[in-house]
Amino acid sequence: MKLEKGEISSSQLMLLVGSFLQGGLLSLSFAYAISRQDTWLAVLAALFIGLLFALVYIALANRFPGKTLMQINDLIFGPFLGKLVSIQYLYLFISSLSVYLWFIGDFVLTYLMPETPIILIMIMFSLLCAYAVRQGIEVIARICFIAIIVTSLVILITFALLIKDMKYTYFLPIFEVPIGELIQSTHIIMHVSFSEVLVFLMVIPYMNKPKQTKKSVLLGMLIGGLGLLTATIRNIAALGPLSAIVTSPSLESVRLIDIGKVITRLEVLVAMAQILLLFIITSVLYYAVVLGIAQITKLRSYKPLVLPIGIFAITLSLISYESSMQLRYSTRYITPIFTVWFYFILPLLSLLVAKLRKLPK
Amino acid sequence: MVFLLVSAFIGVILFEVPSLIRNKHWRELIVFSIFLSIAFVMALLATIGVKLPSPAKGVDYFVEDILHLNYQ
Repeated sequence: MKLEKGEISSSQLMLLVGSFLQGGLLSLSFAYAISRQDTWLAVLAALFIGLLFALVYIALANRFPGKTLMQINDLIFGPFLGKLVSIQYLYLFISSLSVYLWFIGDFVLTYLMPETPIILIMIMFSLLCAYAVRQGIEVIARICFIAIIVTSLVILITFALLIKDMKYTYFLPIFEVPIGELIQSTHIIMHVSFSEVLVFLMVIPYMNKPKQTKKSVLLGMLIGGLGLLTATIRNIAALGPLSAIVTSPSLESVRLIDIGKVITRLEVLVAMAQILLLFIITSVLYYAVVLGIAQITKLRSYKPLVLPIGIFAITLSLISYESSMQLRYSTRYITPIFTVWFYFILPLLSLLVAKLRKLPK
Repeated sequence: MVFLLVSAFIGVILFEVPSLIRNKHWRELIVFSIFLSIAFVMALLATIGVKLPSPAKGVDYFVEDILHLNYQ
């Protein structure tokens, strides 16, 4: 019995992972205030640690080919304890979904439409995501090709146009930030983008060539990570000390572009590209939540659950957060520590138990 | 506001339920109604102005004040 009838190819998985990671560009702004001019070092470190932990997730997926995360938990921990672990993962996914819904609402509210009620933006956005999720993973995977080309072009063009404003002395002194703050910043970047590759354990089983999983996931992470690194270097070189102060360094640095008073105010390009990527992130998380619930309760189709879960996620994000400062504070100091349990300890524990029990038999 | 909310939920029910009953997917219908009623209660309470406890603040309190684990 298969819940999802579509299949994605290995290159589609690669582009999906790449655009999923590149969508973390706006949430990277949480890390600039911690590790000021060394943020690009933190992105590089997070990329390497993220690749290391992606190997753990891929090992878990390759051990049980054709099974999603929820079915893997049932096989490893037994039916009862497995359900408990699956519910913890579902909590992680649905809370990240509500954070992203709040984040997109807050972003549009701050930069594009200041007078609109936030709930309206969330409803319009999640209706679009609900439509994509009802159509299946194949449809979400197909849009990634366009999305990643558009966003990579935007990053490259803005980088090229900003070259005359860049001062490379802004990178000096390197390693002046205390090592504790560099670790904290790396951890925040892992939390907002690289560790979330865990959610692809719900997508990998629907790939048509299971042998190429490792290659496509790692290449996708490299594509996304290089995009993030380029954008971070652009922001620091263009803004300098200001990048630790402004709300969204990516938009503020692109706002500096001024070529003959003709090509100006290009930040709306970045906003459009990032909204496209946030749509992909939200759809993948939404899909994982709906598919996970359908598999725990053993349904024949996940489609009826899409709209109730969407309404639930919108309400959850409205009651969870009051202001963007609350989200900022908890993402900087608290939530990265909370999610260590889900991203690092639980997958390692699962892999260890699977090795000890010599699964699959 | 409450009228809008109720009509939105009636719209969702009219959209999903007929095909479920026609195909005799009873299990799906049960799970659908459980999640829809949870969502309805939460949305109704938030609409009429009841302050629901925030799960994110609960997690923050748990990590910061009970476990004493945070960067600072």
